[in-house]
Amino acid sequence: MATLDDLKQAIINGNREKAKELTKAALDEGMAAKSIVVDGIAAAMEVVGEKFRANEFFVPELLIAQRAMKEALGMMSGESVDYIGTVVIGTVRGDLHDIGKNLVAAMLEGAGFKVVDLGVDVSPEKFVETAKAQSANLIAMSALLTTTMGSMKDTVATLGSEGLKGKVKVIIGGAPVTQSYADEIKADGYAPDAASAVDLAKKLIAG
Amino acid sequence: MRANQQTHQTVQFRLLSEDQLEEIYRAALHLLEYTGLDVHNAEARALLSSAVAWVDGLRVRLPSSMVEKALASSPRSFTVFSREGKPGKDLHIGPGRFYYGPGPSCASFMDARTGAVRKYTRADAQAVATVCDALPSVDFVESLGTIGDIPYELADTYEFAEMIACTGKPIVAWSYAEAGCREIHQMAMAVAGGEEAFLRRPNYIFYCEPLSPLVSTGEAIDKVIYCARHRIPLIFTPCVIGGATGPATMAAIVAQAAAESWLGLVVSQLLRPGTPFCMGGVVLTMDMNQTVPAYGAPELSLLQAGLTELAHYVGLPLWTTGGCTDSKRVDEQAALEGALSVLFAGLSGGDLCHDVGYIESGTTGSLQQLVMMDEVISYIKRIIRGIEVTPETMAVEVVDRVGPGGSFLADDHTLSHFRDEFWFPKLIDRSRRERWEAAGKTRMAERAQARLIEILDSHKPAPLSTAAQQKIADVLAGADARFESEQS
Repeated sequence: MATLDDLKQAIINGNREKAKELTKAALDEGMAAKSIVVDGIAAAMEVVGEKFRANEFFVPELLIAQRAMKEALGMMSGESVDYIGTVVIGTVRGDLHDIGKNLVAAMLEGAGFKVVDLGVDVSPEKFVETAKAQSANLIAMSALLTTTMGSMKDTVATLGSEGLKGKVKVIIGGAPVTQSYADEIKADGYAPDAASAVDLAKKLIAG
Repeated sequence: MRANQQTHQTVQFRLLSEDQLEEIYRAALHLLEYTGLDVHNAEARALLSSAVAWVDGLRVRLPSSMVEKALASSPRSFTVFSREGKPGKDLHIGPGRFYYGPGPSCASFMDARTGAVRKYTRADAQAVATVCDALPSVDFVESLGTIGDIPYELADTYEFAEMIACTGKPIVAWSYAEAGCREIHQMAMAVAGGEEAFLRRPNYIFYCEPLSPLVSTGEAIDKVIYCARHRIPLIFTPCVIGGATGPATMAAIVAQAAAESWLGLVVSQLLRPGTPFCMGGVVLTMDMNQTVPAYGAPELSLLQAGLTELAHYVGLPLWTTGGCTDSKRVDEQAALEGALSVLFAGLSGGDLCHDVGYIESGTTGSLQQLVMMDEVISYIKRIIRGIEVTPETMAVEVVDRVGPGGSFLADDHTLSHFRDEFWFPKLIDRSRRERWEAAGKTRMAERAQARLIEILDSHKPAPLSTAAQQKIADVLAGADARFESEQS
């Protein structure tokens, strides 16, 4: 399994080119896609996650590892890749702040989700339409301004009127957002930072 | 008497050389001319384009001549007047002067009496303004929260109304969009005594922000335009978070912040040359572990000092940052982080230092922190004042008179000078252990809390005139009506 260990290391080091090459090499050798994902890619992200929790890796190292992981996954798009779920993410209507949302999106991808990032200033209708079109499990919304938070409530309502409440879960975050606001608008969850957003997303997919 | 002598100097602080400042200045100009910014405001893009900027969709690039012209017309000094007509409470922004105040719109607030962290209310806005009014080392007023017991959409207008009734010190106001900006201005003009009176003696400053990196939103520029048209002293202040919304190297963070701020400068000066403009703002790093902007980090002090020197180098006052912490409590961390950034703001002469009282990386506002920092500001001002060297202070005759082995305690010279030469603590405790124990073994944070309660229970700000109160009530009624119609 030398190639897979090398692939794992390349991803941990954030080496995009090498991750791509080694994935291609493994595929050319006839290795099973599942094996590459589990023993190469997912294994790498496990290590990255541990190092992050141990304060050896910081957010930039995490992000470049995820970028390398994406390259590796990209080589396998012909093959069947098992995403653990699909998330539609964006910053709400009227709000252009996206650094937090970008971080959550990157970390969700790193955890094995298919992430459809709608960017900023996203209307409730766009969130819901995209979730339908992508058969998403989750809608994840971010806001930095107290005045834009309100459209999170509208998204939950729109989901309801499309009969998707409960089928598509909603998670929210951002500086003015709180657990009690999430409860108030009947969102399925709130997370204070990117790492706990990933844990929350995983929990909601399972449950 | 002396000839050709410099007889008094305050503490001198210098971070960057002239050459370094010139380089950073050129880098900011380079960003504006060759990278440009996205300006989400059609009116501003049209204005800039008709004045030689290049506009390509949202992207605006400013040739350096535009920036230099704007810098030339923008005043280095201007005054913002207390509504009480008390010269001691006026802000004389200019070289060598530095002022302190809290920050706006935190997501949560630390209850003034219980210390519990909760949502912020109209009553809190009154309390914050009252405390600012009472604290001797707080010079201007911001809210430390976002009013949440009325619809959020009205928080900006109501906050100004509540605060102006409770303080004679100038408020630095903010709003979500132009509507709030207009309503606040109506109230401020009423308090000043009308539009003409406001133009002669402006009584507040308006603050708004670009979005890093290199973006200006529609609402932000609407407000810049409104302020320039009405000659409202304006702060256009970025919050560049190094490693996240700005580069990871200090020099680049300063240059990017300057570029973002100067978009507001150029727009305001094009519309009304001479509009008092204050460059900003909050320059710090992202904690790469906790993914928070590091309000208590050493980099904040360093970056703020660098940005201050750049502002003064190009002839602008700076809206700077200090007195803040990443701590969740008003504890040892809050004290050390707040004190160091307060010190550096003072040493560099940052014209208006805000966010004093910000805890938890700016997400919670704390009057306890503000009260503690009030003591710190007074403390550092004694250091910055320097050592006065005159025959009277050199006192060789006094030493001679007291003589070897003598005592200075009851000497006339000591009596006539010690009250002025020495700094007197109010919250800092120097008592001997027995006395300290008898008085309750208090910690600094507890003494700050007690002082806060004392102020809240006893301080009476100067009331507004009945006419002003009526006008403010009318403006609030108008704001309510605007909100109602926006809902339907």
